[in-house]
Amino acid sequence: MRELTLVFVYGLVTALATGAGALPFAFVGRVSPRLVGRLNALASGLMLGASFGLLAEGTRFGGWETFVGANLGVLFILGTNRWLQGHHRHPGQPGGGASDGVRRMILVVTVMTVHSFAEGVAIGTAFGGGMTLAAFITVAIAVHNVPEGVAISAVLRSNDVGVARCAGWSIVSSLPQPVMAVPAFLFVDAFAPALPYGIGFAAGAMVFMVLLEILPEAYDKASVREIGAIASLSLIAMLLFQRLVAG
Amino acid sequence: MHPALTVLLYATLAALASIPGGLVRWPTGGARGRWVGWAHALAAGGMLGAAYVLAAIDGVTAARAAAGGVLGVMFIVATHSLTGVARLDLSRPDGSDPSHGRRLVRVHALHACSEGVAIGAGMAVNLSLGAFLALAIAVHNIPEAATLAAASDPGHGRARSVGLGVLSNAGQPLLAVSTWLLATAAPSTLPWALGFAVGALLNLVMTELLPASYREAGATSIALVASVALGFVVLLGGLRP
Repeated sequence: MRELTLVFVYGLVTALATGAGALPFAFVGRVSPRLVGRLNALASGLMLGASFGLLAEGTRFGGWETFVGANLGVLFILGTNRWLQGHHRHPGQPGGGASDGVRRMILVVTVMTVHSFAEGVAIGTAFGGGMTLAAFITVAIAVHNVPEGVAISAVLRSNDVGVARCAGWSIVSSLPQPVMAVPAFLFVDAFAPALPYGIGFAAGAMVFMVLLEILPEAYDKASVREIGAIASLSLIAMLLFQRLVAG
Repeated sequence: MHPALTVLLYATLAALASIPGGLVRWPTGGARGRWVGWAHALAAGGMLGAAYVLAAIDGVTAARAAAGGVLGVMFIVATHSLTGVARLDLSRPDGSDPSHGRRLVRVHALHACSEGVAIGAGMAVNLSLGAFLALAIAVHNIPEAATLAAASDPGHGRARSVGLGVLSNAGQPLLAVSTWLLATAAPSTLPWALGFAVGALLNLVMTELLPASYREAGATSIALVASVALGFVVLLGGLRP
């Protein structure tokens, strides 16, 4: 029982760390259209970098399983987006359907939350190998979550959401980590085969959402050269960051 | 066969893959733009996949690779300004500007050089990786050459668009062999070369291929084509022997 509590607490720490990703936005003042473009480019680079990491992790467990999961993730975002366009009415929006900004925010928080389920299973199965490395893995995942919080906050902040709420939604998006880590830890043998599907699903959903919503929005708001440079550099920064955290 | 010849052979074959692309008969009317957009998206997904495969290589000093990546991004930014192609639309002939065609070929030549570095660096890691990258880039060259043919002046016929496609890819085998020579002679440069290729490919996708696709077709179909293309490259890259 004590071990279970530990797994949960460790998972919770990693979720709270995601909120730290909102902190840099305390220094961002007025949100101009150009800044919206840049923030979306930053989020695109970070999320594509995160999905590159997920794909590398998933294909270690099984290439086909990851591929199948990724295609399901694409379909999931396609469906969610259609549903949001059709059904989620937003006050003050005469045509019906959520406004583009609101839809984009819902998609980002949804995708990042879904991806946390897969990460939670990954934490749990990693701990399943024994508790010796638990503290180390927790620190690694907590640090790894910070740029994901940056990505979420970049999209929310560009829609004029306050910093505290950015932090709040970032943490919410990571709450599935502790929730999923416990059962995955208890039933490693049952969860392990599902892992590449889940990781692939998260990666596919993230890549597709970036290409469908976040990048086009970025190109709309600032020059293509600027967006391209920010997105490529933040992707490289994310790859470096993941390598350093993994040791 | 000498390994340098193998590199030359694979990179040349990848460059020649532009020939079928130059022969594509584009539909006319409203559908044409969409198909051009999807071809760009296919090329973008393939290039992202090649960048992923290069970035996923283990045992590379991460800091050096990242520094190389920044250089690669900077290289594309700088060459775009120097060659005056920063605001070039890849898909449409610009009637007001007679130099459009030449600038277009220059853009494609720059692509080909970055892809050459990618093949050369991949070959220096191991042959199977390099061959896979050459294959991915060969497949990517087909829609790329097709969009070049679609955008160059329609009055000039097939032979010219095939010629332009091959000509603009000439840098690919050259850069592949020189990168391979450098990386095998001085192995400490390998992380830099790998990183450079990743940065250059990423920035090409972000500043040219994706914006050009979004201008031609809806974001949903573009995102679908690009992410499925990326998925296939990742899958096949992982299944590689």
